[in-house]
Amino acid sequence: MEPYKLDQRQLFVLIFLFELGSAIVIPLGVGAKQDVWLAILLSLMLGILLSLVYLRLYGYYPDKPLTAYAQDIAGPWIGKMVAILYISYFLYIASRVLRDFGELLLTFAYPETPLFILNAIMILTVMYGVNKGIEVLARTGELFISLLYFVMLLGFVLLIGSGLVDFRQLQPILEDGWKRVVKVVLTETLYIPFGEMIVFTMLFPYMNNPAKVKRVVISGMVFSGLNLAITMTLNFAVLGADAVARSSFPLLDTIRRIQIAHFLERLDVLFMIALIIGGFFKVSVFFYASVVGTAQLFSVERHQRLIYPLGLIVLILSIAIASSYPEHIAEGTKIVPLYMHIPLQIIVPLCLLLICEIRHRYVNHQLGR
Amino acid sequence: MLFQWALRKKHRQKPEKRETVVPGRDQSGKAQDISQEPLHPQLEANIDMIRRTTGNSTDIVIRRVMVGQEGQHRAAVIFVDGLVDEMHVSRFLLEPLLEASFPPSFSAKETFFYIEKNLAAVGSMKQVSQWFEIFLELMSGSTIILLEDVPLALSASTKGGDYRSVEEPQSQLAIRGPRDGFTESLRTNTALIRRRIKNPNLWLETMRIGEVTQTDVAIMYIKGIVNDKIVKEVKTRLGRIKIDSVLESGYVEQLIEDQTFTTFPTIYHTERPDIVAANLLEGRVAIFIEGTPFVLVAPALFIQFFQAVEDYYARFDIATALRFLRVLVFFISLVAPAIYIAGTTFHQEMIPTLLVISIAAQREAVPFPAFVEALVMEVTFEILREAGVRLPRPIGQAVSIVGALVIGQAAVEAGFVSSAMVIVVSITAIASFATPSFAIAISARLIRFALMFLAAMFGFYGIIMGILAMAIHLCSLRTFGVPYMSPLAPFIPSNIGDTLFRVPTWAFKERPRLINQKNISRQGENLRPQPPDPARQDEGDPS
Repeated sequence: MEPYKLDQRQLFVLIFLFELGSAIVIPLGVGAKQDVWLAILLSLMLGILLSLVYLRLYGYYPDKPLTAYAQDIAGPWIGKMVAILYISYFLYIASRVLRDFGELLLTFAYPETPLFILNAIMILTVMYGVNKGIEVLARTGELFISLLYFVMLLGFVLLIGSGLVDFRQLQPILEDGWKRVVKVVLTETLYIPFGEMIVFTMLFPYMNNPAKVKRVVISGMVFSGLNLAITMTLNFAVLGADAVARSSFPLLDTIRRIQIAHFLERLDVLFMIALIIGGFFKVSVFFYASVVGTAQLFSVERHQRLIYPLGLIVLILSIAIASSYPEHIAEGTKIVPLYMHIPLQIIVPLCLLLICEIRHRYVNHQLGR
Repeated sequence: MLFQWALRKKHRQKPEKRETVVPGRDQSGKAQDISQEPLHPQLEANIDMIRRTTGNSTDIVIRRVMVGQEGQHRAAVIFVDGLVDEMHVSRFLLEPLLEASFPPSFSAKETFFYIEKNLAAVGSMKQVSQWFEIFLELMSGSTIILLEDVPLALSASTKGGDYRSVEEPQSQLAIRGPRDGFTESLRTNTALIRRRIKNPNLWLETMRIGEVTQTDVAIMYIKGIVNDKIVKEVKTRLGRIKIDSVLESGYVEQLIEDQTFTTFPTIYHTERPDIVAANLLEGRVAIFIEGTPFVLVAPALFIQFFQAVEDYYARFDIATALRFLRVLVFFISLVAPAIYIAGTTFHQEMIPTLLVISIAAQREAVPFPAFVEALVMEVTFEILREAGVRLPRPIGQAVSIVGALVIGQAAVEAGFVSSAMVIVVSITAIASFATPSFAIAISARLIRFALMFLAAMFGFYGIIMGILAMAIHLCSLRTFGVPYMSPLAPFIPSNIGDTLFRVPTWAFKERPRLINQKNISRQGENLRPQPPDPARQDEGDPS
């Protein structure tokens, strides 16, 4: 493991950028229609419960990443299997996010550039960042977070200023009752982005102040969850439920509507650029987790050596996972949550925690005797 | 004591030094060979030694005198013409030597000590016994006194000669602020700082670097404010240097900086004593090098290159506005051509319709793609600038006239470039001149070309990825152990007041935390100016 240390502010920044990274651009939770904010807030609460599970595991193993303590808890064989599962999962999600942003660029600005090239540029930058280490990534995040937040606020002000926001589009609340909201929560918004906090179990060991981790994680999730809810709601308030449902990138369609003084128009490209920074951090965190996880699992001394092979895998995977954007989205909403998010974000951590708790009880019991 | 330390260092390095002697550098090799030898008792043998070693150089003055009651002791006064203050030598060394009345019974040795203790009316006087010391002293402007039958020499400090006087610095001008600048003389430079910081805790250590040039290098810091680790690191890095010559602080800078493969400067250099004083007070270390007016300051943070000296002399609101302007200007000089390329090539929809029509109309006649157009113009401009810098001033003006005419007018009329491109290039150029530190402006100049290339291939996406990579690179830099981007990243709230904006002077409560970790308090509490007390106002009020 690298000797790097993250402080609380840096972890907060990483969580914020990570949570908003791609969730803010993709059509997230559109199934809930104008109740999307309810869905997001509900998933935020459940997501915090989930992250309490991760934090509890971290409490038992404060200096080990998930891939290491899985082996301690479930034994070397099953543990290694679990670790490999997680590493592939992180790699896969990294390439999914990469694909998201590649498609975004393709749709909005570069219709004639090959997806491969666009993704390659992004993954090269990610590889460079991961090569420099998590501390450098976190510091870069600190540099950019204020810029990003400023851009977000600016977008908010411009939307309000151009008189596009129509809050009547948010009514009626709970048109079809709770059912639809709960369905969206359990199939989509809980896993992206809140359940994805599982990847931070790979970063917690780098914290210099373990006592504060819980507070930082929860406050980071709440802060980013609120921002996400507001943004998504704004999409509906500006575009209306039908347009959002048809849009591939609702936020950018919203921004595109801005038109002030015949001068500030077509700002979507600028905002897209700003959002790409968020995507960069999301890919970086996933990629970093898979790199250090692999290094740990196969006892590779310098994890930097793994960056090129794994980066190439992510790049090729990001092209190969789907033949078209609709297919990519369909996989993401139907298959991935069921076969990947639910087992790896919920079931496996819960099992690990259960075994861990039982073992600790048992050991304590024995010691008590 | 400090000097002894420097000498000890020399001794320690001796065995390794021999190995580094390159064939073909005979003279230095020879000088080192004799360096261990002690002095000969015979005066003539010693004089001969000096003559031989210096190759009979004509600027070495050897003045033979007879001292003692009846002039029974032969002596020699040796100095390098031009390095010493000749008035000084004749009035305070030669005169007393020739006119003094020695007790008649004095032996050579007694005479020698008598001269040392009673006669020489100079500030500093010491005995030296080894050849390398003698030559070092001689070449540094001391006067050597040799006496027959005494295997010792006296070295009297008579440094002098012509130096440029203290003038207004040529770089880093300021409208408000002191007008004095460093000179080529190390002593003058350290004195300029001493005059500003009258505190015994201002410490100065000297060493010599450069095996052939034997250049004086001095480290200055304020004990109690400076971080001792940084001082130690600076000393270790300086001590590691083994090089034949140090002709400018750039030599040292490049040998002690943390990372070579970066376009960003991690050591600050300045010609202004007030900047050095301010940096010492923030806990940094200054490195003075004999023979250059540029003093190094380490560790240097990224934001420091945007802090002009006047920021601290002007009121805070003005200073803040200017600071913002400078950061903006840096970004303009970094990305302006890249944005033009990206805008005209990829993102026409972002440009307001009327403007895009006018640009398109201009570009219609231009045979090149925007990238080539921009590249040609930028390179031309760089050539012009380079020509302007090196040429003598009268010709330099001619160059700028030709440049302005050819580039501004003829190129557009000939349809080589569009006039919009000319505007972009001029804005970039002016912006890069407005960046307060040349060291950072020049790194922006380099990165600009990389960004232009990325913009030509990937538009704004390329630019943002380039900037992201640059930010990662910046965040990974360290300067003497301090993160280069601090206090922005890692974010340090208590030091943020002197970064993108400058808080009022009364709010400058702390020194940079990562640089000096212990003594961070800079000023008292409640320095904020208040309106006068109503009670006191009543007293003083004549009505």
